Amino acid sequence: MKALELIGKGEEMHGRAYIKSDKEEASSIIKKLKENGFDHFVMLSCVDWIDNNEFELVYHLWSYEHKEHVMVSIILPRDNPSMSSMHELFPQIETYEREIHEMYGVDFEGNNRLTPFMLEGWHDMPPMRKDFDSKKFAEDVFDSIPEIKEEEDEGI
Amino acid sequence: MGLFDGDIMKYEDWNKISRIASRKSLWMVHFCTGCGAIELPPVMTSRYDMERFGMGPMATPRQADVLLITGYLTVKTLKRVVNVYEQMQSPKYVISFGSCPINGGMYWDSYNTVKRLDRYLPVDVYVGGCMPRPEGVMNAFLELMKLIDEGKARGWEKYQKYYEQYKRNQKMAFNFEREKDEGA
Ligand code: SF4
Repeated sequence: MKALELIGKGEEMHGRAYIKSDKEEASSIIKKLKENGFDHFVMLSCVDWIDNNEFELVYHLWSYEHKEHVMVSIILPRDNPSMSSMHELFPQIETYEREIHEMYGVDFEGNNRLTPFMLEGWHDMPPMRKDFDSKKFAEDVFDSIPEIKEEEDEGI
Repeated sequence: MGLFDGDIMKYEDWNKISRIASRKSLWMVHFCTGCGAIELPPVMTSRYDMERFGMGPMATPRQADVLLITGYLTVKTLKRVVNVYEQMQSPKYVISFGSCPINGGMYWDSYNTVKRLDRYLPVDVYVGGCMPRPEGVMNAFLELMKLIDEGKARGWEKYQKYYEQYKRNQKMAFNFEREKDEGA
């Protein structure tokens, strides 16, 4: 695959190139890919591997030239995860970073728009983390809201 | 003295006439939440054509009679829905679609959807299903018209009567974090 040749490492996974990288190297890999035809940034996703105590950030890129999908994966520790922002390379990364900051609590250095994004008035743990107990939260918050007590109906 | 207290027409009779009139021209607010918005275009357009019941979409809540809650409601949307509902003029009716506003549906353990709509707004007609088909939606409209005719669609009166309780519940949902922090 073209991306694997370019970077010189990685493997093929379900028809996509999958490149494992680390924090420092990632931006140079993505830059190189961008300069060589992988100029469509598809998305940035995050996986919570709670058993290994790590987060995996996956940068998805697509090339119209080579018709190829490449995923660049970075492993971060679960405690105080932080990554450098790449919004200089692709401006739309800023929005994905905001989302992942809000949903997983990953910090992106250099992104100065990490303000509350989709959740309103949220003060708990980032809700997409696997140790966030959504069921308990829903029970605590929504089941505690009482029903409307009505008096006997007397007609209009 | 006057029209309403027996001189010309009895209050009950007047009420009945006004109900017959209002059930024949229900306008609904264009406010869609959740998945159910997808079922509305076929209901509104020529396939099922709800115009034939005198129903039509209305862009502003001030001129509308029916508020459709078309699916799950997040706390964030509930704030907007309450705003819209309170802008509507009485008599006004609420129809809730799908299982999400009844008991949470498939989002029963979600952190951000309100589970039971009737704790925040008075609901007149529920349509079950995930998502109800347009036939179900039409049926709900007919049911609502029947209830109006019989004088049983009285959610808006309930909202006025139990306003404090509704407000308390809405505030609890909006401020859950703050209350929790204060409680701790
Ligand atoms: S009841 Fe089903 S279709 Fe309707 S909003 Fe909920 S999940 Fe979506």
